[in-house]
Amino acid sequence: MGKVRRISGCVAAAEAVRLADVDVISSYPIRPYTGIMSELARMIADGRLDAELVYAEGEHAQLSIVYGASAAGARTFTGSSGVGVTFAFEVYSPISGERLPVQMAIGDRTLDPPGDFGSEHTDAECCRDQGWIQGWASTPQEVLDMHLIYYRVGEDPKVMLPQYVCQDGYFVTHILGDVQVPDEAQVKEFLPPYKNHHILDPKKPQIIGPQIEPCMGPPQQYQRKQAFDNINEVLIKAHDDFARIFGRRYDPFLEEFMTDDAEVVIFGQGAHMNTAKAVAARLRNLGDKVGVVRLRTFRPFPTDEILKRMSRFKAVGVVDNSAQFGISGGAGVLFSEVRTALYDVGDKVKTVGFVGGLGGEMITHDEFLRMFRKLQEVAKTGKVEKRAYWLPFEL
Amino acid sequence: MSENLFAEPNLKQITVWARGVLQNKDARDVVVALTEAAAQENKHVQAWENYVDLPDRIYVPVRAYAKISSDPIDSRYVYENDAPDIVVLVEETLVKNDKILKGLKEGGILVVNTRRSPEEILNFLVTKGNLGTIVTVDANSMSTAVVTLSGSEGATDATGIGGGISAPIAGAVVKASGIVKLENLESVVKNPAAMKRGYNECRVMKLDKIEPAQPVKEETAWDLLKRMPFAGTVDSPVSENPGMVTGNWKTRRPVIDKEQCTECSTCWIFCPDACITRTDNGMEFNLKYCKGCALCEATCPSGAITMVPELDFKE
Repeated sequence: MGKVRRISGCVAAAEAVRLADVDVISSYPIRPYTGIMSELARMIADGRLDAELVYAEGEHAQLSIVYGASAAGARTFTGSSGVGVTFAFEVYSPISGERLPVQMAIGDRTLDPPGDFGSEHTDAECCRDQGWIQGWASTPQEVLDMHLIYYRVGEDPKVMLPQYVCQDGYFVTHILGDVQVPDEAQVKEFLPPYKNHHILDPKKPQIIGPQIEPCMGPPQQYQRKQAFDNINEVLIKAHDDFARIFGRRYDPFLEEFMTDDAEVVIFGQGAHMNTAKAVAARLRNLGDKVGVVRLRTFRPFPTDEILKRMSRFKAVGVVDNSAQFGISGGAGVLFSEVRTALYDVGDKVKTVGFVGGLGGEMITHDEFLRMFRKLQEVAKTGKVEKRAYWLPFEL
Repeated sequence: MSENLFAEPNLKQITVWARGVLQNKDARDVVVALTEAAAQENKHVQAWENYVDLPDRIYVPVRAYAKISSDPIDSRYVYENDAPDIVVLVEETLVKNDKILKGLKEGGILVVNTRRSPEEILNFLVTKGNLGTIVTVDANSMSTAVVTLSGSEGATDATGIGGGISAPIAGAVVKASGIVKLENLESVVKNPAAMKRGYNECRVMKLDKIEPAQPVKEETAWDLLKRMPFAGTVDSPVSENPGMVTGNWKTRRPVIDKEQCTECSTCWIFCPDACITRTDNGMEFNLKYCKGCALCEATCPSGAITMVPELDFKE
């Protein structure tokens, strides 16, 4: 067993990268994820990590560097935040399309505007359709664990897909938490060495990403879809093995908190759900049957799990820490997708969308209290008067 | 009702003010040393730096925070301490900043790193609301400041905790507040001798009477929406930007000897913040925005400008 350290989400991510014995890292600074790269640079300087750290001239180059390195057989790592994430956009789909299990940390930051350092999930959620595995960690410990789990899932021969490990900027990247940093031997048992079977090799030349005829489009995309369909099975197995080896068990898809007899729940992802849990716990003391469901895997979106496990609630409030203007449902992408997932239940489960914490503003205890009260009202009356609320203006 | 529901009665908050870059490390060390000592007493702790301050600007006021509680800390995901029990100033001229005691709990403690007496410091305070005790400690005579970027932006600090002026300052905090046991603080700082000097040699003054704090009206999101210009734009050109008042960055201010000044305007050219204007009365300084960088003093060909410590002036 490793030792417990009080560290930030940035340091936790770097510790995971060290433990995964990554070969090639590409960096470019932007708050708030920068701490990950400064930590890795120190590890290399101190001889604690043997990896090539390439300072890119921008995020597009950052992603291009790990694209090539991964194709050449290296285990790779990169990361960014906010507009850095979007500047690299062109490279995401090719990495996934070439089935290269690159891993990228995203420390969320607003896109411009509002042009501040605060966290919104919008930057990473923009990338949701690029064929990457994607999930949010809510504490530094979960950051470390999720990086290790995602390497294993992404590099599984049945999957071979890149992964985004997302953490809320500041709330997770900069706020310290107690983290059990595992031993290298444990990680070796959990994470086999990276093996790419279509490696770039001068003795066996190949062209990756060639121009194709339209008729090859459907089979190429279907192949990627099949790989995506394999993720859940591999994800479940990886979480089982993780629990056995490290002694920490996470639900791969949805963490449920005080949901056993809950009538209404808040649904969301990332660090804000810790505040939601604190509020739910206080409300439980008053006898309110409330709970929290925290999404852990955003891509692939766990449609069946949500349908199976959330149809027992009377009202579900979906919290989006993002601005997707004009989206169906009128809140954010989580609300839109949860409504779609619950469509087959019919009118039994009422859903309400909440947009909060924009610009990195806190979502306060009082705001969560107001959300729970609104959901209780919806559950009691059976009527959804307003589908979506932008906080703090509309609730 | 909601206020009671989320009250954290056993939570203690410490807010440390310091100067950007040169004192980030010592400010962080004060809160880390105190929280690590508290953790040894099985307290729940949180130490963090203000994320919205601009820590890479030299001399800008920056803040580091600690939370210590016997209960789990529910209010972890905040940017600031809303109601500090203890406020620490790592550099003495910060005492003129009107924000330092904001939200202070009744009978709260102010600890200042200075050679001056508590009585002198008291005179500089813009507001004294809720203040119960002033403590001064001459930490610079007991240890040497540690200037490093190690540990910034949430990364690991490779230089150790409490080796610089943070040690005597933390010692003074413990003397005045008893927030942790002295031996626990001793076990976490790199320079326990300096820490003990701070504990033993600091000057503690209890105020005879606690003035009530004036209530502050916070702007609501609706207020902010009302005054938000179209698309968040800022008019330009402006001579002053009320959203970025930088006068509180300085620890010294320029004073001009108009007898010696030839009005050559060299200072006007070099001032990076356009704080100098030519008037019929000669060169004038806009101290609301002057950061105290001293470029005017350095470039003045006739030696007419002198940088004078801020605390030589009451205002």
